[in-house]
Amino acid sequence: MNNILLSNEIVIFLFVQIVLFILLFIAFYFSLSIIKNWDYDKTTAKQYKLEKTSYLVILIISFTLIVKIFLFPYFAYSLDNLSNIVPGAMCAAGIVGANEFGQINLSLKILILFFIGIWLIINSLDLNAKTYPYTKKKFFLYVFIFLLCVVETILDFLFLNSISTKEPVMCCSVIFGANSIGSKIPFDLSIQMLLILFYLLYFLNVITNIQKQAFLNLIVNFLFLYISYYAVTYFFSTYIYELPTHQCPFCMLQKEYHFIGYFIWSTLFLGTFFGITSYFLKLTINNNSTYTYKYSLIFNSIFVFICSFYVIRFYLINGVFL
Amino acid sequence: MIKITNLNKIFNENTKREFHSLKNINLEIKTSSCVILKGISGSGKSTLLSIIGTLLKPTSGEIKIDDESIAKLPDLHASNFRAKKLGFIFQSYNLFNELSVKENISIPLIPLGYSQKEIDVMCLNALKLANIEHKKDELVFNLSGGEKQRCAIARALVNNPDIILCDEPTANLDYDNSIQFIESLKNLKKLNKTIIVATHDPIFEKLDFVDEIINIKNGKICE
Repeated sequence: MNNILLSNEIVIFLFVQIVLFILLFIAFYFSLSIIKNWDYDKTTAKQYKLEKTSYLVILIISFTLIVKIFLFPYFAYSLDNLSNIVPGAMCAAGIVGANEFGQINLSLKILILFFIGIWLIINSLDLNAKTYPYTKKKFFLYVFIFLLCVVETILDFLFLNSISTKEPVMCCSVIFGANSIGSKIPFDLSIQMLLILFYLLYFLNVITNIQKQAFLNLIVNFLFLYISYYAVTYFFSTYIYELPTHQCPFCMLQKEYHFIGYFIWSTLFLGTFFGITSYFLKLTINNNSTYTYKYSLIFNSIFVFICSFYVIRFYLINGVFL
Repeated sequence: MIKITNLNKIFNENTKREFHSLKNINLEIKTSSCVILKGISGSGKSTLLSIIGTLLKPTSGEIKIDDESIAKLPDLHASNFRAKKLGFIFQSYNLFNELSVKENISIPLIPLGYSQKEIDVMCLNALKLANIEHKKDELVFNLSGGEKQRCAIARALVNNPDIILCDEPTANLDYDNSIQFIESLKNLKKLNKTIIVATHDPIFEKLDFVDEIINIKNGKICE
């Protein structure tokens, strides 16, 4: 068996994934029956039974999805630890790039996290209403999430099973080096242009959140997420590592950098998540909750503050920029 | 108006201990009326009272109180509904023995977000209505059965509910205290409260303020 599958972190990760998958499958089975037969206006024994079943299924789904949220940073931590046994890998970047499944698996996990968040918000709105108005919609969404989880579980096995502990992988060695900058940033943007876009989009983000413009907020948050990834990787990370040639999105997850990467990426995710959610909620359940704008503003501001803090701190200590 | 349509309640469904407690109950109780649910133990009257009080959910059927469907209310909304619209008086009083009468009465008001000053005023009103004001600082542990029941009445009235539900309220009272309790009910009727009493006590059978006596036998309403 592949050594990767036998490493402690991966054994724990896969065990939890399998347990969660079984729970998700049970919930999926009952979800189909709820979707098929749910009619709140009926007062038949079948409908009352469905309401009881729905309550239990919701409990299972909520528990499972919340555990999945916490499992994601653990997955990143596990990948980071695998860099000790995979030749050439210095952090999770090397492991993710070890085969063709890594990047797609990571992206899918982030997408699932996004839908889990949406599901939890719709569920909470549904349970707080008197007549469970969003039950059918949230179970449809759950079925979609479950299907994504099936693909995720398959990809987990394919990805982890395909990592070789003998063949060296390319890691920060490609990311290191001034020459790579121009080709890696989209549209061949210079660092200066990247930063201007980063702060401009943040500024637009603040405005669209204050004005509660759902659609504009969606667009701005997507762009902000996209630009932020590159801004952090190619500019802000160099101030975190205090090395102009070290550009990596993953090394900052390590203890050496006080695990700051977890805060940076989670605040970016939460900020953009709440920004995008406003529009999704309006579109799917015609809900105009305003608290999502507030949270989006708060998390995006924390994200920008943490990123900017490293640059300012470096300047104050050294008197120069990198 | 309380409207009950095709109500059924089955306990331990699909097991060996399955028990059909209420069978196809159809009932209308007018606002400000006093109704007695009469029947022997196990006839289903307490179950019906619990379902009206949103303490139990039916197996099938519908209950509407003032045109609001309450049978399927989610727990949170059912609690809010009970806190605002219903008052309960139980056979075994369900009081906290270690607390004073006033403290017991103030408990239902705490989750409703009233200020202490408002709670004090509302408690005093309820204590006066239930004629237990003189014992307000006494521990419930030290009260007699009749006094405990008056304390329970005060607690049921403190949130000024529209509907009072009484489950075997005189079962633990002697004759004199039962008569006093009935006097209290009469006064509540004058306050335009809807009163539903589940009992097998014959003392309730010939009361002038009772609008209807409903006989329940084996989970069914007998004409």
